[in-house]
Amino acid sequence: MKFSSPAHAERVTSRIGLALAVTFTLCFVTGLISHLIQHPPPWFGWPSRPVWLYRVTQGTHVLSGIASIPLLLAKLWSVYPKLFERPVIRSVAHALERLSILVLSAAAFFELVTGLFNIAQNYPWTFYFPQLHYAVAWVAIGSILVHIAVKLPKVRLTKEPDPSRRAFLRTTWLAAGVAVVATAGATVPLLRNVSGLSWRSGKGPQGLPVNRTAAAAGVLDTARDPNWRLSVVTPKGTKTYSLDELRALPQSSAELPIACVEGWSQSAHWSGVSLPELLRDAESAPGTPVRVISLDKGIYGSSDLPGEHTADELTLLALELNGEILDIDHGFPCRIIAPNRPGVLQTKWVTRLETL
Amino acid sequence: MKTLRLLLFLPGLGAIAWGAVLFADYAFPLRPDVFGTLGWLVGGPLVHDLLVAPVVGAAGLVLSRFLPSCWRTPVRTGAVLTGVLTLLAIPLLWRVGDGPRNPGLHDADTLTGLLVSLAVVWLGVLVAAGLDQARVLREDRRQSASAATTGHCS
Repeated sequence: MKFSSPAHAERVTSRIGLALAVTFTLCFVTGLISHLIQHPPPWFGWPSRPVWLYRVTQGTHVLSGIASIPLLLAKLWSVYPKLFERPVIRSVAHALERLSILVLSAAAFFELVTGLFNIAQNYPWTFYFPQLHYAVAWVAIGSILVHIAVKLPKVRLTKEPDPSRRAFLRTTWLAAGVAVVATAGATVPLLRNVSGLSWRSGKGPQGLPVNRTAAAAGVLDTARDPNWRLSVVTPKGTKTYSLDELRALPQSSAELPIACVEGWSQSAHWSGVSLPELLRDAESAPGTPVRVISLDKGIYGSSDLPGEHTADELTLLALELNGEILDIDHGFPCRIIAPNRPGVLQTKWVTRLETL
Repeated sequence: MKTLRLLLFLPGLGAIAWGAVLFADYAFPLRPDVFGTLGWLVGGPLVHDLLVAPVVGAAGLVLSRFLPSCWRTPVRTGAVLTGVLTLLAIPLLWRVGDGPRNPGLHDADTLTGLLVSLAVVWLGVLVAAGLDQARVLREDRRQSASAATTGHCS
């Protein structure tokens, strides 16, 4: 078999490889940040400001993953002839090298395919997505490092003189750019009406998407129960609040984004009681870590707010969204909205706060 | 160079090993569904190497054989963009493993969005090829002010 395409040249492979190294590193670092915020080890801290930081890191995670799809396909096309090299195996080292490339390619495809299906909340598999997307991310980044170490002597990044090879590279960069523009409206406000393939629409109640409805959480009755009370549990005892009592406390407002792990984000106007205010009223102190417990008994039915966030005046127990009483799908009677946190930790239908 | 390569290689091996430990946490004790997951792991390279790459290669070959030179690069680029945009739309359109409906998420009209995006791409292809054709015409006219012009792409 003879491959005559201009794509199969070392300079082309090196350039696309460098671009992929950048996008996969961005994906890995931003993914690791998101993992650490959700499962913080004792040494890890995450600030409450700037309020948009997580929105940017998680948007970067998803968009660099999307850019990687055309880049990976172009990279594999540029090295495709190597698949047919004979002899298949020359030595033990050569066998290991080929095996490492198989591992790299399998891990890279797995990350991109599962990630793409996850942002569409479409799960045609049986495993728990976050667990394996995280495990295989280590394999992917590790095999990229090994691959670069092996190939470093062959890397050519000088300017490509051949016009048809330059055309192949231009098409590759264009495809990556178009892929990003076609989807980035899910998180970049300017592209909201440009991206034809955004997975976030404008159809959510009160102008904001919902990631788990009250019906799915099984809280339609308990959230509307007139006897609903918020319990705030501190070492000094338990204080309970009715919705009217919460409304009677001093109210604060904040413009804060919901930034989802699935990469979409949207800013909204929230009003309610600030956490420092509520903690003072319950005779605790701002800066005390708080466990937030929902009426939702599912796996995302509780979250821990670090002291950093309970000290921040922008962290709200929100009662209103965009000037209206919180929609039941957005967490009525009250929800947590904190600056610079993943949406999955902005616990809805709050029933209990416990200081830790 | 050797030190740099080692500094990449050793942490790389470490990361792979850590990933393998995390994967083993999931995979053991072995259950039937783990084999389905292994399918998702090896499926990528298999589908690509045996199906996607040969089809793309054949399509590229056909396009370069039958298209005039002005059209070759724009049409190939248009075909690449069509493929990429379609791939990105698949999880939104082919809802096999759907969870509960979430208002405001993946409830947009993706099919129309895809078709409009593709229309923009192919409009770009027409413009790019047209500009190239105009350039060839201008060059021909300059080169042969008296001789008969060949104002088209070969």
